[in-house]
Amino acid sequence: MDASTSPQFSSQLIALMAALMLLVQLLMVVQRMLLTSIRLFAIQSVFLAGIAGVIAFVHNAGHVYVIAALTILGKVLLLPRLLNRLVRRIRITQEIEPLLNAPTSMLFCGGLTLLGYIVARPFTSLERLGNNTLAVAMTLVLTGFFLMFNRRKAITQVLALLTVENGVMLAAVALTTYGMPLVVELGIFFDVMVAVMILGILVYRIRETFASMDTSKLSQLKG
Amino acid sequence: MALILLLLLPLLAGLLCLATRSRQSWERLNLIAFALLVPLALKVAADVLKGGTVSALGGFLRADALSALVIGLTVFVAMVCAIYAVGYFRADARAGTITDAQLRRYYVLTPLFVALMLLVPLADNLGVMWVATEGTTLASVLLVTFYNQRTSFEAGWKYIIIGSIGISLALFGTVFTYYSAVSVLGADTHQGMNWSALIGIAEKFDQKAMRLAFILVLLGYGTKAGLAPMHTWKPDAYSEAPVPTAALLGAGFINCAIYSIARFNVLAVKCLGDEFPGKLLAVFGIASILVAAPFIVAQRNFRRILAYSSIDHAGIMVAALGFGGKLGALGVTLHMLFHAVTKPLMFFCAGNVQQHFATPYFWKVRGAMGSLPWTSGLFLMATLAITGTPPFSIFQSEFTTLSAALAADRGWWALLFMVGVVTIFAGFLVHIVKLTLGAPRHDAPERGAECPWKLGAMTLVAAVVVALGFWLPGPLYQLVQQTARIIEGMP
Repeated sequence: MDASTSPQFSSQLIALMAALMLLVQLLMVVQRMLLTSIRLFAIQSVFLAGIAGVIAFVHNAGHVYVIAALTILGKVLLLPRLLNRLVRRIRITQEIEPLLNAPTSMLFCGGLTLLGYIVARPFTSLERLGNNTLAVAMTLVLTGFFLMFNRRKAITQVLALLTVENGVMLAAVALTTYGMPLVVELGIFFDVMVAVMILGILVYRIRETFASMDTSKLSQLKG
Repeated sequence: MALILLLLLPLLAGLLCLATRSRQSWERLNLIAFALLVPLALKVAADVLKGGTVSALGGFLRADALSALVIGLTVFVAMVCAIYAVGYFRADARAGTITDAQLRRYYVLTPLFVALMLLVPLADNLGVMWVATEGTTLASVLLVTFYNQRTSFEAGWKYIIIGSIGISLALFGTVFTYYSAVSVLGADTHQGMNWSALIGIAEKFDQKAMRLAFILVLLGYGTKAGLAPMHTWKPDAYSEAPVPTAALLGAGFINCAIYSIARFNVLAVKCLGDEFPGKLLAVFGIASILVAAPFIVAQRNFRRILAYSSIDHAGIMVAALGFGGKLGALGVTLHMLFHAVTKPLMFFCAGNVQQHFATPYFWKVRGAMGSLPWTSGLFLMATLAITGTPPFSIFQSEFTTLSAALAADRGWWALLFMVGVVTIFAGFLVHIVKLTLGAPRHDAPERGAECPWKLGAMTLVAAVVVALGFWLPGPLYQLVQQTARIIEGMP
């Protein structure tokens, strides 16, 4: 085997792509332009597909290629297009003031990254490829949730949910060499597509009814 | 074959409703589809009682006693909701509050919702179970936002967002469980997510991974069940959705969520012993009961009070699961059964009162007995039943849960359980007595003719509630016993 297929090289490649996913996530935390956030999500998903592709190549696992292809089809092509169209229809392109400002958010996410690494440590010794993928996955989930609470625009919350899902998919691919059974992957794929479509419908209706995408205005029902 | 038909029939009904235009055909398609599900569910239960498990599609679909029970309850709730829905929506149409397009949305999405609810207990693969659960959320969101009001969208948004947060955690937990299994199974990972295969090797799972997996799964599926503190979507969703949808969610889907938690609990207990999972479950369960209690006592809206009741009962079921042992397993099974049968009656009565008085607020409705005698009577009876008053059946399941707590030496938990349950009983009784008895307000509407469809559904449920208080048919009791054994982890 030449150098490009040695497990050492592919391990490093995966570790690099996982780190890039984390970087993109942190960029999203401070990004205020909605269209750019969508693009960042697409980039993050490209890295996820890349990781799946490398694993498929190294282990010669056919159906992990399918997972990579589904990721590209769904999260890089279809969903960003859907979300872009939605943002243009409702004509709101910028996020309003977040709860925590950019520097504080960054600091908090740094803490969450540390937490992710700590929680993932007991499991890293058993990882197949890449030495930080589970830690990154946990961090993606934690920062994704933080993003949901920090921002108020409905579309950003949808994006945050999608990054959480990216984190879970990364964990699945990192922990189990062959990923999950194909039927489960397909099911998750369809669920995510339909979820975003429905969320899109809701965002549009909310915009129409409330004349705003600010989810803090959705506070009439109490008790 | 029956298993496949259970899924195909409602799907077909939903598709046909999409293709037809008349309200009558939608009503008929739904009624016929759910009516046909009843003998199918009975057949599955009978086969399970004879042979232990039933499979289809090469093991993809698998029904054991626990699945058969949940399927039976789902079919029962779906059937009575379909009957009630006919009258409910006809009343809405007469009042001019809904359009035909909205109605079609209900009749297309509801069978799809039910089909996915039936897939949850039938899927052997834990990942497919997850897909089905997420599917039910997606199918029901547009049902929750049915009335297209500001408040409907608020409720729908909270429902899907909080539900999606929860479901991502559940997926994470499922992935960790798969990981624990794969490290034991080695190369042959085809069976890695099938519960029936995992149950055999669960003792060898990596304990750290399983511990984390169980926490995530409990947080995740617990969100769907409505356990505190992940319960905040429930009051909004249950009060904004049309009554039949709320009943399907509160009496039908809740069983699917508890079912998922129970499946993972069996794996966790085999791997970690019953100390850790049991404590975690008991904490969430008792917390839910104690969170629900003050909200019930201080409640002003009789649609929202039903959501808190649902949070309370989810808490009771999860607490019973946590107390464990023979009594705990029996408690959660009996409670699933009795709750699924009693809860729809509460929803239907509340719906009737709301439609007649055009308000969901307690302070606007007094002495309903005057204008809605049947509904008021049944409402009082249902309140007594749902809060666990003897001789109604829920008393038995709550008593069994309490015994389980004492048997497991959890005296303090038992005390908290009692405090919560008694407070809820008192709160409910005060509210509903004021609503039904007492002097009517001066601006109360006239006595109306009570719709036969709605009354028919309510009387049917009431009859079952009363009957179950005194008599549990032999085969049903056998099914309950077998289910309890599965939950306990016996082969």
